[in-house]
Amino acid sequence: MHPPAPAGGRRRSPVAMAVALLAAILLSACAGIPEQRAELAEGTTATELDAVPFFPDTAYYCGPASLASTLEWSGYETSPDALGGSLFIPERNGSLQPEMLATARRAGRLAYQIDGRLAAVQRELRAGHPVIVLQNLAFGWWPRWHYAVVVGLYPDDGTVVLRSGERRRHRISFKTFLHTWARAEYWAMVTPAPGGLPATAEPGPLFQALASLEGTAGVEPAIPYWRAAAGRWPESGPYAVGLANAVYAAGDADAARKVLIDALPRVAEGKGVVWNNLANIEAEQGDLAEAEAAAESAVAAGGPHVEQFRDTLADIRCRRGKGACPGAE
Amino acid sequence: MDRFIATNRRLVPLLAALFLWATLFVPAAQASMVGTQTLAAQQSADAARERVQALLQREDVRDQLVSYGVDPAEAQQRVAALSDQEARQMAQRMDEMPAGGTSILGAAVFIFVVLLITDILGFTDVFPFVNNTAR
Repeated sequence: MHPPAPAGGRRRSPVAMAVALLAAILLSACAGIPEQRAELAEGTTATELDAVPFFPDTAYYCGPASLASTLEWSGYETSPDALGGSLFIPERNGSLQPEMLATARRAGRLAYQIDGRLAAVQRELRAGHPVIVLQNLAFGWWPRWHYAVVVGLYPDDGTVVLRSGERRRHRISFKTFLHTWARAEYWAMVTPAPGGLPATAEPGPLFQALASLEGTAGVEPAIPYWRAAAGRWPESGPYAVGLANAVYAAGDADAARKVLIDALPRVAEGKGVVWNNLANIEAEQGDLAEAEAAAESAVAAGGPHVEQFRDTLADIRCRRGKGACPGAE
Repeated sequence: MDRFIATNRRLVPLLAALFLWATLFVPAAQASMVGTQTLAAQQSADAARERVQALLQREDVRDQLVSYGVDPAEAQQRVAALSDQEARQMAQRMDEMPAGGTSILGAAVFIFVVLLITDILGFTDVFPFVNNTAR
């Protein structure tokens, strides 16, 4: 072993520099990697989704290629070239994460960023969902950003299988995968098929993702996902309202009314909004007595939208010939 | 085109102000449903202000996409597909955001050698001919 080069020396030997650099790289190995491995479910069998399509990519189109792979898997016919127009940024030679999510939504698919944990990837794979990951294949100071699709996980020999670049089955060790993924802040997303939900979905972020899907692609593609979410969290007021609003916006007021009525006995939180929206549909359908009762229940339930509930109640009472009408005072 | 963008830039704050004004002065006591976007925005403290901010930021993101070589009409659609939160992320850190799309062409010899070693050790995964599946 050579003695360390004197500090402040004008020239260090290239060998010493390379050794120092390599040491720095190895020491900056990411914290948390052993924990990531330990979190994997014990004794689980290998999972590999053979049916996930593969689009080889030779240059900078790994974003479109990865997204085309999971979108096709979800039943949406496409190709990397077709997606490139809404994804690729010419001067950056690549694709950005928010646009990966947005482009999946433009195809009418729910786009959900999952937790950056190997255990979360495992749960998605076991639910049959391929997972798009962002990796930095090289170093923080010389990044080579890359999107790939995780399609397999073998806990016994500690490997994952990726659709990556030109390789249909790129099998790498947990260690290599976790290092490359950690350098991209463990970014990962899924695009479940209509009516499917991410296995690891949390109610709050999923609601945002569904609202974003409506914003991008309209209500129709969102309805099967709302239905699934309202089924998974039957006691949730917001999910009953989300489903009813979408069904109503798609033109089926009767079905929307039924969704809200069915939800009422189960709903624990956000009940006021359920009553208020039910009152509006009932009023619109001419059932003013029911509408008034529902609006009264909304006001009684209270919550952050109680002013809106009071307006609903006042308007319905006015239409029934009871109480003052807005603008008449 | 530049004039069009400049006009747009002046128009946006005006439209944003109109939007705010319109939300503030909705006629009183009209029955209405609570919308899904309202429920989604509920988590943020000042939804209306953030909405206006997102409108302005969308303009910035579109201009930036155009400057990165994206066709202006396509850039408009791409920005429209973003959620408010995504538009904000893009506006704030589009420059530093990693653009996935890798090529190792142009690597200097020194970097090539370092990468070769780290690939073999399994810390990186750049070269197809190095396949480290050991634990």
